[in-house]
Amino acid sequence: MPPPEVVVETRNLTKVYRDFWGRRKVDALKALDLEIRRGEIFGLLGPNGSGKTTTMKLLLGLLFPTTGQALVFGRDATEVTKNERIGYLPEESYLYRFLNAEETLDFYGRLFNMPRKVRRQRVNELVTLVGLEKARKRQLKEYSKGMVRRIGLAQALINDPELILLDEPTSGLDPIGTRQIKDLILRLRDAGKTIILCSHLLADVQDVCDRIGILYQGELKELGRVDTLLTLRDVTEIRAGGLSDAAREEIKQVIERHGGAVVSVGNPTTTLEELFLGIIRQSEAHPGRRVRGVLAEQPGDGDGAVAAKP
Amino acid sequence: MPIEEEILPFFQWLPGGVAHWLLVVGSVAAAALVLGWLVSALRHGPGAALRRMSRVVADAYNDVAGMSSRRVGALAWLAVKESIRRWVIVVFGVFIVILLFAGFFLDPASTDPARLYVSFVLTSTMYLILLLALFLSTLSLPADIRNRTLHTVVTKPVRASEIVLGRMLGFAVVGTAMLACMGVLSYFFVLRGLSHTHEISPRELERLRASWQEQVAGGKPAAPVEIQTEPAHGHRHTLRVDPFRRDADRRELIPRGRVRTDAARGHWHEFSYRVPEGALRGDAPGPLEYAVGPPEDRFVARVPIYGKLRFKDPAGEPVERGVNVGGEWAYRSFIQGGTLASAIWTFEGVTPQRFPEDRFPDGIPIELTIEVFRTHMGDVTGEHIPPIHGSLMVGNPATGQQVEVRIFPAREHATDSQIIPRRLTRASDGRTFDLFEDLVDDGRLEVWIRCIEPGQYFGMAQADMYLRAREGWFAWNFVKGYLGIWMQMLLMIAFGVMFSTFLSGPVAMLATLGALIGGMATRFMGQLASGELPGGGPVEAFYRILTQENLISELPEGFFRDLIFMVDTALQGYYLRGMVEILPAFQWFDYSTWVAYGFNISGDLLASCILTLVGFVLPVFLAGYFFLKLREVAR
Ligand SMILES: Nc1ncnc2c1ncn2[C@@H]1O[C@H](COP(=O)(O)OP(=O)(O)OP(=O)(O)O)[C@@H](O)[C@H]1O
Ligand SMILES: [Mg+2]
Repeated sequence: MPPPEVVVETRNLTKVYRDFWGRRKVDALKALDLEIRRGEIFGLLGPNGSGKTTTMKLLLGLLFPTTGQALVFGRDATEVTKNERIGYLPEESYLYRFLNAEETLDFYGRLFNMPRKVRRQRVNELVTLVGLEKARKRQLKEYSKGMVRRIGLAQALINDPELILLDEPTSGLDPIGTRQIKDLILRLRDAGKTIILCSHLLADVQDVCDRIGILYQGELKELGRVDTLLTLRDVTEIRAGGLSDAAREEIKQVIERHGGAVVSVGNPTTTLEELFLGIIRQSEAHPGRRVRGVLAEQPGDGDGAVAAKP
Repeated sequence: MPIEEEILPFFQWLPGGVAHWLLVVGSVAAAALVLGWLVSALRHGPGAALRRMSRVVADAYNDVAGMSSRRVGALAWLAVKESIRRWVIVVFGVFIVILLFAGFFLDPASTDPARLYVSFVLTSTMYLILLLALFLSTLSLPADIRNRTLHTVVTKPVRASEIVLGRMLGFAVVGTAMLACMGVLSYFFVLRGLSHTHEISPRELERLRASWQEQVAGGKPAAPVEIQTEPAHGHRHTLRVDPFRRDADRRELIPRGRVRTDAARGHWHEFSYRVPEGALRGDAPGPLEYAVGPPEDRFVARVPIYGKLRFKDPAGEPVERGVNVGGEWAYRSFIQGGTLASAIWTFEGVTPQRFPEDRFPDGIPIELTIEVFRTHMGDVTGEHIPPIHGSLMVGNPATGQQVEVRIFPAREHATDSQIIPRRLTRASDGRTFDLFEDLVDDGRLEVWIRCIEPGQYFGMAQADMYLRAREGWFAWNFVKGYLGIWMQMLLMIAFGVMFSTFLSGPVAMLATLGALIGGMATRFMGQLASGELPGGGPVEAFYRILTQENLISELPEGFFRDLIFMVDTALQGYYLRGMVEILPAFQWFDYSTWVAYGFNISGDLLASCILTLVGFVLPVFLAGYFFLKLREVAR
């Protein structure tokens, strides 16, 4: 099977914010190389101000790259027509507060040149999907933060997009809402959509993302599949049941001599939170270096588990 | 005539207008391209810059050609929704308040109340609507960018062209609706404000009755009685009623009838009377019944026929222009009194078909405005300064036959109505002429004006005399006046939206306001640019203000003066000229004078204005598109 088609590609993508006089202010993104394929859920992580939103805006053509290139569906990110196949949920839902939910969705539907009948049907579906049936006739200015977030998400899905960019989709949502969104994201992925999201809720990211990239001060510090990244390669975990203390002691010796009955052998996984904090710590200590194997120095501790370094 | 501007027939204007437009738009576009390339080349190098430019141009074609009506409609709808939420209601409220107050301070007893009322409503509507357009169009897009609501919009497949056009259309819809409401309100405000009738006092009625009774009884012919109405709105009318049919020797009373009062303050009333049974009987006379109708002919829309004007000098030789009497504005040219100097208009199309006898029983109505320049006050022993007299003559352009119509006192700053009678008698030899038979040659007629008082001057321009062949319909003319405001509003919206694509709200507002004020002063700037005005160019004028020099004294010679002249020449030649071309010529679209002074706004003027509007809006829309397209929305 050929690898799935590349949906998003950035080459040496760099963004420098300048002030009015053209003076360099912030290097928000430095030489980002990224490839995201169809059917992936890609998570973009990083501390505040690390360039996540900037990356998304560059992919959407809301910002122009200082150097480098951003390609979406193989076309330049500044081209409008690509938007036909994109859904975007901004960091905060930037919607017209004087419209109600139905009007909002209908308005964005019209921007996709959808005929009235299709629009009506789609609006009904989405309002139900995000759980706003009761509030569909109320103006957005009366909405709570989570409700606005929900309508924002509905708006991003109005055109049944192939590529969905979600900037902190779960911020402001209640636990049930968060769960629903995560399920929705997984469903969308199963339907063949590509999703790029950024979030500070690492547990959520860990749950849904296939791959992640971690940005720190505009530089990509880590990139890979979540399961591989969270696997500690230089640590071996052996789990065994029904052993006496003596036996355990013995096993230790056996392991030292490279032998014995091993019940399970594998790598312990860490949590994403630890990975993240490790990378950030590392980056702060050695600025400018791509981080590798951060977690080697700090073994995970599991109960009843034996961990050893080769 | 108050409108001191010659209006070319549309198709005569068209080729020149289009060529001029192409030239201006072409050079602005070329300048923009070169500038864009330079900026881009500095960043990316000359070759890449060229590639980028060509991509931008190709994109522009796609973006404009590929606009979707549904998207534009959605964006326009949004703009309407937003406006309704914002300003519109307030502005409408302000308008109503203005009208209410206007009821107090507009005086229906002034000399020309119709002009006052009409120009008041037109002007106040214009300023309000322009203000509304200014606020709506300049604040909306920057607010969308600031609130980042535009991010959500531009990440849909929306073209920058659609955003700009949708905005313009949406505000245009709001403005149009507002303007329509204001127009209807204004129309009724003017009609109602000036509507009145007059009473006739019992004394006057009794005079009338007594005279009629006498005539019925005695059967002797008497001059028709002249009575006066009671005052209303600061004026009275006089009227003559003659209810007798004069057959050979019998005199018969017509018991009911209607007559016109004389004209006062630009209108007349219809007076209808009824002589009840027995009202004229000797023993028990009853009162007459009467009714005075509403003011008539108050609101007119004259359709003038203009002629070609030429001059003769004091010796009677043809000259290009009359004399210039100095400080006066060069629009009018003067002829010297008491000499053979004359101003001669040649009218065409003066035919009996155009002036049929049933509609023009007395002759051809003409109107004329003359500016008087006095070198001395004349005989000022009386109460009033005496008027300066002129002579009005008609002549056959082919045979050279001339007849004096009359000697008339020149009314300064007022339009004088006269009639050229169908039959004229020449005083010198007693010969009579039939106007259409003897004096009109193939529809051409000459009208001559001379000033007959030595040492005084008459000033005239071509549009100062015209024949009044036909009346337009005032209500329609009023609508056309509002159409002028509508066009100004569209211009304002176009400029406002265009500026708001790259400037922040308040700055965009200032810029649009600048364009408006500059646009209202294009005539002045044109004169400044061509050096017609005394006092020199901008720098020289500024120097004169600083040094408190007067406008015509020579500047001290030397390097400094040369420098001033050089900078001025450059400014006048390039900058001012350029600005005059680019700025929206709001003056062009201001028809309030036409409506207020009762002149029909001609189809030619309207057509060329509409085309001019399109000529402005199109490039402004494109500029707005480019600014938005090339801007980083998320900055
Ligand atoms: N419009 C702007 N002008 C100048 N600097 C900006 C602008 N937008 C973002 N920045 C800067 O660029 C850097 C990256 O910002 P960005 O919004 O991409 O961060 P982020 O990773 O999304 O952060 P957060 O987690 O807080 O959302 C920051 O230092 C920020 O200050
Ligand atoms: Mg962000």
